[in-house]
Amino acid sequence: MSITMLAPTGVLLASGGGEGFEPPGPQDFWQPLIGSGTWAFTRPMLLWIISVVALSWWFIATTRKAAIVPGKGQFLTEMFYNTTRNGIARDMIGSKEFLKYVPFLFSLFAILLVNNLFGVIPPFQFPTISRIGFPIALTAIVYVIYHYIGIKKHGLRGYFGSFVPSGLPAWIVPMVLVLETFSFFVTRPLTLAMRIFGNMLAGHMLLLVFITGGEYMLLHGGIGLKVISVPTFLLAFIMTVFEALIEVVQAYIFTLLAASYIATSLADEH
Amino acid sequence: MTGNIAIIGYGLSAIGPGIGIGLIFAAFINGVARQPEARGMLQSIAILGFAFAEALAIFGLVLYFIS
Amino acid sequence: MHALASVPALAPASDMANASPILPAWGELIVGFVFFGIFYWAVKKYVVPNLEKAYADRTAAIEGGMHKAEEAQQEAQAALEQYQAQLAEARSEAARIREEAREQGANILTEMRAQAQTEATRITESAKKQIEAERQQAIVSLRGEVGRISTDLASRIVGESLHDEARQKGIVDRFLAELESGDVKPEAVGAVPAEES
Repeated sequence: MSITMLAPTGVLLASGGGEGFEPPGPQDFWQPLIGSGTWAFTRPMLLWIISVVALSWWFIATTRKAAIVPGKGQFLTEMFYNTTRNGIARDMIGSKEFLKYVPFLFSLFAILLVNNLFGVIPPFQFPTISRIGFPIALTAIVYVIYHYIGIKKHGLRGYFGSFVPSGLPAWIVPMVLVLETFSFFVTRPLTLAMRIFGNMLAGHMLLLVFITGGEYMLLHGGIGLKVISVPTFLLAFIMTVFEALIEVVQAYIFTLLAASYIATSLADEH
Repeated sequence: MTGNIAIIGYGLSAIGPGIGIGLIFAAFINGVARQPEARGMLQSIAILGFAFAEALAIFGLVLYFIS
Repeated sequence: MHALASVPALAPASDMANASPILPAWGELIVGFVFFGIFYWAVKKYVVPNLEKAYADRTAAIEGGMHKAEEAQQEAQAALEQYQAQLAEARSEAARIREEAREQGANILTEMRAQAQTEATRITESAKKQIEAERQQAIVSLRGEVGRISTDLASRIVGESLHDEARQKGIVDRFLAELESGDVKPEAVGAVPAEES
């Protein structure tokens, strides 16, 4: 869509004589606040810390005096907690052992949801997860946890044995073992981190394209482009709503997959 | 016109998973329409399948970034 | 951007913006770890135990409430049954008493009637007996009187001759002796008074 709109831009820009439109790219996501380089204190770091502080405060404040008849705040927290506890943890892991993993999945879902939604909430407007460091951190924790509990439960040999479904013909077992090992050690963490990262990055970049493009057309374009910028802003608004939905879904999927990986490591038979 | 040929590669790599995800959710909708009470179980399976199919598109994205 | 992938992003690059977006900035990675750890600790230490406790309490409260309600219902049911049983008992008691009273009344009535009957019979009987006795007495005394009067009369009518003859023959003595002993033969003397009375 941006290409079709930018095509007349070139024509009109040539007559208007302004400088060319610089489309947003991954470089726009590096926003250091203090310092520079890889140790700089960046905007997503600030957002991450804000989210941790705000969430901790909210959850502790609403559950410190958890009552049998919940107040408004406790009710909201409980609704969210129920989604994680019953909808994700219990359904995926099973009612026997799920309680041990509820705190982890709950904090994972909460922090992902809030940081994703920072992408569309006005004062923040930056999806923290679109910086790869954060999803890698979370994925590394999930990775260590599910391998640890798998090896602890089955033993190292039994854990690799559990990759292969029982009842396969003997000649196919080595191939499946290689594929599943690759899946357990490479595909799973890679896709887990990259899925949420890619969605956040691409989604936010799409919004940036619409908004900066519309702004550019409105400010620097000719009369025709000024008219076109109106549906562009409208589309940006629609895409923002769509993006909010994607952000919630991606946080849910990340948590669900983490629970599912834990469940497969815990399962008696693969 | 400037750009990166890897973008085209990523675009191509997204076609297959796109179709696959569409098939997965079509089957999910069919299943729920036939047996609404199995929704919870089907939803988890559908999202897992969706994650597996999407893994291919994510590989494309990674390859685009490291190209 | 295609040329920049070769730049080692993990090294302190002067321009992080041009680093590949899939290579993490160390600062962000570490901050991600540390603050997620803090959040996880807070959730595990404070939030989840409180919520689980509230859940357990709620389950207990609901179960306790249900138990209590059940108990109350059972109590009410028992009370109702008891009340109904008492009511039925009272009713049957009343019916029994009424029946008894009726029976008693009937009994008394029959008894009284029988008593009255016997009394009447007795009175009639005694009256009859008295009458009979009086009649007998009257007959006896009448007989004696009649014998005496008839002998008197006969002696007056017959006179001396009869006196003498009677003395001679001892008829009057015998007759009187018989009369005194009360053994009067109706054929001998009573033929006349019998015809008289």
